[in-house]
Amino acid sequence: MKFDDQKIRNIGISAHIDSGKTTLSERILFYTKRIHAIHDVKGKDGVGATMDSMALEKERGITIASAATYCEWKGYEINVIDTPGHVDFTIEVERSMRVLDGAILVLCSVGGVQSQSITVDQQMKRYKVPSIAFINKCDRTGANPFRVIEQLRAKLGHNAVAMQIPIGLETNLQGVVDLVAMKAVYFDGDSGENVRTEEIPAELLADAQAKREKLIDAASLFSDELTEAILEEKEIDPEMLYAAIRKGTLKREITPVFMGSAYKNKGVQPMLDGVTCLLPAPSDVENIALDMDRDEQPVVLSTDPSKPIVSLAFKLEDGQYGQLTYIRVYEGTIAKGSTIVNVRNGRKVKVGRVVRMHADQMEDVEELKAGYIGALFGIECASGDTFVSPGVNMTMTSMYVPAPVISLAIVPKDNKAQMAMAKALNRFTKEDPTFKTHVDPETNETIIEGMGELHLDIYVERMKREYSAEVTTGNPRVAYRETITQRADFNYTHRKQTGGAGQYGRIAGYIEPVTDAEFVFENQIFGGAIPTQYIPACEKGFKESMAKGPKLEFPITGVKVVIDDGAAHAVDSSDMAFQAAARGAFREAYLRAKPVVHEPIMKVVVETPTEFQGSVMGLINQRRGIIIGTQDEGLQCVVEAQVPLAEMFGYSTVLRSATQGKAQFTMEFAMYRQVPQSVAEKIALEASQKKTSVA
Amino acid sequence: MATGVAFWRERNVIHLVCEEINMIKNEIIARNPLINLGYGNEYILNDGGLGAVLAHAGVGKTALLVQVALHAMTHEQPVLHVSLNDAVSKVDIWYRELFHDIAGKYDSADMRGFWERTLVYRFIMTFKVEGFSAPRLEERLTDLMQQNIFKPHTVIIDGLRFDESGRGLLMELKEMAARYAMRIWFTVHTHRHEPPQKDGIPLSFRHVADLFDVLVELKAHGPQIDIKPIKGQSADAKKDAIQLDPTTMLIKG
Repeated sequence: MKFDDQKIRNIGISAHIDSGKTTLSERILFYTKRIHAIHDVKGKDGVGATMDSMALEKERGITIASAATYCEWKGYEINVIDTPGHVDFTIEVERSMRVLDGAILVLCSVGGVQSQSITVDQQMKRYKVPSIAFINKCDRTGANPFRVIEQLRAKLGHNAVAMQIPIGLETNLQGVVDLVAMKAVYFDGDSGENVRTEEIPAELLADAQAKREKLIDAASLFSDELTEAILEEKEIDPEMLYAAIRKGTLKREITPVFMGSAYKNKGVQPMLDGVTCLLPAPSDVENIALDMDRDEQPVVLSTDPSKPIVSLAFKLEDGQYGQLTYIRVYEGTIAKGSTIVNVRNGRKVKVGRVVRMHADQMEDVEELKAGYIGALFGIECASGDTFVSPGVNMTMTSMYVPAPVISLAIVPKDNKAQMAMAKALNRFTKEDPTFKTHVDPETNETIIEGMGELHLDIYVERMKREYSAEVTTGNPRVAYRETITQRADFNYTHRKQTGGAGQYGRIAGYIEPVTDAEFVFENQIFGGAIPTQYIPACEKGFKESMAKGPKLEFPITGVKVVIDDGAAHAVDSSDMAFQAAARGAFREAYLRAKPVVHEPIMKVVVETPTEFQGSVMGLINQRRGIIIGTQDEGLQCVVEAQVPLAEMFGYSTVLRSATQGKAQFTMEFAMYRQVPQSVAEKIALEASQKKTSVA
Repeated sequence: MATGVAFWRERNVIHLVCEEINMIKNEIIARNPLINLGYGNEYILNDGGLGAVLAHAGVGKTALLVQVALHAMTHEQPVLHVSLNDAVSKVDIWYRELFHDIAGKYDSADMRGFWERTLVYRFIMTFKVEGFSAPRLEERLTDLMQQNIFKPHTVIIDGLRFDESGRGLLMELKEMAARYAMRIWFTVHTHRHEPPQKDGIPLSFRHVADLFDVLVELKAHGPQIDIKPIKGQSADAKKDAIQLDPTTMLIKG
C-alpha cells in the first residue's frame, strides 16, 4: 500500500529579526493544542516563549538555535522549525531551508520587507522553498499590509497576492476578510481561540471584491479550469481557487499573503489553513541525492517509506541525555533498532531512541517515515551527514557554508576551565559548521572564528553558562587576507650539503594573480627537467606557503603558480628537497609580485527614523564606509552601505546612542576588498608588534 | 582591439596592464551617445543646467542617464542618482550591468578594483513619488555636504512625473542646481497617445521645456533605437539621429 504523505507539512518560519516569528510559533502551538498557555517572548510572566528553550534566548529575547516541533491542524501533521532572525546565525536558517518543504515568510506590517527578509528570501530561492507570507503586527501604529505587499513585489520580485484584507488596522484591528470564502473572520475568546465567521462588513465589500478579482486573476494563470470558469462567468468555488493558488505557490510563481497580529491573537488560524492548503507535502517537492557509486549522478528521491533509508542529519544538540541528532528522512523508514550507515565515514550505527521534538521536550515514537522530521539519540555524527541503509551509497547535496570572517582569542581562567572549554568547543564546532576553532601555534592561544561579533559572543556566553568554562577574551580580530597584484618570476635552487645525504632541487616559473580561485598550480615542464614524481612535492611546497604570507602572516589567496623549468639530482633530490625549493621559490617571487592586504567588507543596512539619517550616514562615513544609497520611506529611512568589518566593532552601542535607540542595523559579509595604504601600514605595524611580543 | 595597447590575457589570469583603465574611460566616452551628439561641454550641461531624456516607457531612458553618470564617475565627479521608482539595489544593478557591458571584455581584477574605486563617486537616494520635493532633497543633500560625505557634481532624477508636478518644483530644482553648482538630468516619460509636436517637444512637457538647456529624445523603430537632439546643440553639430544597441543603449560598436 502506498504511504500517503499528503497530510504532512514540513515548514519553516523565517523573517527579519523582531518580526514576531517566535510569537507566531507560540500561537501556532497554542491553537494546535501543543501547549495550553501562551508565554510571550519578553512576557511579564518571565517564562519566555516555548520555542526559545535556551536560557540565553529567553534572556535576550532572540532565537539562537532553531527548535523543531510538530503539531496537528485539522488532520494535518505539521513539523515546524523556528529559525533565528539574526544574520550571524544564518547557518541555522540555511540548514532549516535544506530540510523544509515550505516556509512562512513573516513580515512586519510597519517595517515591511527589511534587509534580513531579503537574505532569507535569497536562501529560500537557493533551496527552491515555496512560501506563503504572513504580515504580522497589523495592530501596530503605522501598519500598512498593502504597502508590504507592494514591497514584496518590488524588492523581492514576488508575485504577492493578498488572500485577505484586514478588518480595521492598528489599535482597531478586529479580524480579516477571507477573499477565497468571501467571509469576515473574527477571533474571540481570551486568546483568540474561537474563530467566528460573519458576512463581510458593508464598508469593506467593494474593496474585498476588487482584491478578490486580483487574486482570481493571478491564480487563473495556473488553472485552465479556473480560467474557463471566469470566461463562462461561473461561480468560482473555494476549492478550485485554492487548487490554482497552490499550483502557483509550489512553482514559486505566486506568494499568497495572509495577515494579522500574532501578539493580539488575530489571523493565525487562517494562516494555518493556508499552510495545509497551499504549501507542499513532502512528495510534492523534488529532493535529490548524489549517487556516490555512479560518479555523483543525481538521483531523485521518491518519499517511499518502503525503500531503503536516505536521511540527512541537519542539526545536533548536546542535551542532558547525550547527543540529539535532528534528522529528515527523505526515503525509507528509520525505526527503533534499524541499522543505518553514515555515508561520510562508512560507520554503521544502530538506532536507539527515535523521538519527535517539541522545543526542549520530546516524545518517543517507533519510527520516522519518509517525509518526517524527528530526532535520534546516541548517534555520533556531524551536522550535514547523510545516513542511509546498508548497501546504499548516496549523499544529500551539501549545504552552503559561508567562511568565518571574525576571530577571537580565548584564554581559560584555570585548568578546570580549560577542560570545560575544550568540551564546549568540541560540541559547538560539531553543531555549527560556521563556528571554527584552532590553536595559534605561536601564541598558543585558542582562537574561535565565526560570522560576527554576536555569533562569537553567544558562544562565549554559552561556554560560561552551559559548561562553567570561565574564559577571558581578547580583542576580536578580522580575517585579513593577502594576495598578489602582478606576475613575478622565480628561479630558485635549494641546495644543502651538510654531511649525510644532500638535498637538491631547482624550480623555475612564475606566480601571478588569479581572480576566482584560491590557488592554482600548473605544471608546464616538458622534457623531464623535474622528474614527474617530484611535481606533487612542488605543489605541496607552494600550497604550504599560501597558509601564511611571509611578512604580515595572513593567509594568501588568489595565486596561480606555473612551473616551467627546473633541475634534479640523481642522488640528492627528494620530495623534501623539492618542497623546500618550492617554499624558497615562493618567498623569492612573492614580494616582487606586489602583495596587498584584503579585508572583509560587510553589507550594513541601517533602518532609522528619518530625523537621524544625517547622523547615521556620518557614523558610517567615519568608519571608512561607502554609502550605496538611502531609501526614504516616509517616517523611516533605510541606509545601505559597505563598511569594513574592522570598523564595525562596537557599532551597535554608538548607533544606539546616536539615534536614541530608535535605529537598528543588520550586517552580513559582502566581499573582500583591498585595504587602503594607510590602514595597510597600521596592520603591518600591528603584525610586527605581535611578532616581537611572541618572540 | 583598435587601441594598440599591449594587452594579453588567459582565462582567469591577469597580466597587469594599467592602460586598461584609460581604455575603459575612453570607451565610456566613445560609446556614449549623448557625448557624441555634439554638445560642446564634456559633461554636456554647465553648472546649474537642466537636461532631460524624453522617451516612451521601456525605451531606455534610465540606461542612457546611467551612462552619463558613469562618464562623470570615471572622471571622479560625484553623481547623485535619485530614483522615484526603484529600490537602491535595483538602481545599483543598472550601474553594474552597464559597467560590465563596457568592461566585460577586459575581465580583470583591475576592472573590479577600478569599479570599487569608482563606486565612491556615486550615491543613490530613493524617494516615494509622493514624498519627493525640492526642500526634502535639499535637506538630504545638506546632511551629506555638511559632513563632507558627498557633494554631487551631477544629479540624475529618474521617475519624476512631469505632467503631474507643476512648474514650481522644476524651478526650485533649477535654483538648487545653480546654488550648489550641480547639473541635473531628468528622465521624461512621454505618452504614446500624445501626437509629437513639430519641434519634437511633447505637449505635456511644454510648460517646463524652457527651463531645460538640453533635451534629447529616444525613439524605438522596431528593434532599432535612435537618439536625436531636440534642444541645446551647438550650431555646427550633426543633426542626425545616432543608432544605439538596444541591449546596452551604447552606440553600436
